Amino acid sequence: MKVQKSGKDKIALLLSAREKEILFDTIALYPLVPASHHRLTKAEEAQSVENQRLLEESLAEQRAANRRHVDALLNDPAQFKKVGAQFRLKLSHAELDWLLQVFNDIRVGAWLALGEPDETKQPEISAENIRYAIALEVCGAFESVLLAALGETESSDWLS
Amino acid sequence: MAEIEVLPEIEHEEKTGSKSELEPAWLVICWNDPVNLMTYVSHVFQKVFGWTRQKAEQHMLEVHRQGKSLLVRTTMEKAEHYVHQLQKYTLHATMERES
Repeated sequence: MKVQKSGKDKIALLLSAREKEILFDTIALYPLVPASHHRLTKAEEAQSVENQRLLEESLAEQRAANRRHVDALLNDPAQFKKVGAQFRLKLSHAELDWLLQVFNDIRVGAWLALGEPDETKQPEISAENIRYAIALEVCGAFESVLLAALGETESSDWLS
Repeated sequence: MAEIEVLPEIEHEEKTGSKSELEPAWLVICWNDPVNLMTYVSHVFQKVFGWTRQKAEQHMLEVHRQGKSLLVRTTMEKAEHYVHQLQKYTLHATMERES
């Protein structure tokens, strides 16, 4: 997937047939982060069952809305215009923003399912969890392309 | 007989600060997660708080290097709103009462 054109209102992305297939397969995992994952506060005395319930309800509503957007996008044949051997997907900035939310939910959910690996702790890949390892990498790659289309690129200073 | 006029008590208000200054302060904190892309975190800060890219990147780097960043100090209601927004983007954010 690459950015074909980044305009003020719309961003056009080019995907190969294989990338389109991977996009559909990956998005089918959404939502992946368990509703109970998020906590309003770390302070135990301030934890409230009611506040936690409201938080989970609010996030569930948001994710249901994102799911509807995703289904509408993927099921609309006009969204993917055939350009030679590739497909062009045009997204508004709002669509791009919720697509980023969707990818990051899958990425974080996959990371949780893999046991929260980091530089010092690599996940043990098995037949059961390999789809999460793939989703983690695929979402990271898709996110990077979308963020670059918005002008968000890593600086070499960040690693110092 | 002359009527007794009852005048309301005059309340002497101590002016020690505005209402928002007197309300308990809550801190919105973003915690480091090794899974979130740095560019993504910067993007989310810009979207949620309306910050410039430079300010968003400063806070993102603080999260990355120090494990957390204090994003805003505000009222409980606003802190809840910001935490909801940040969690909508799957960032690890919480609100903590200022000690």
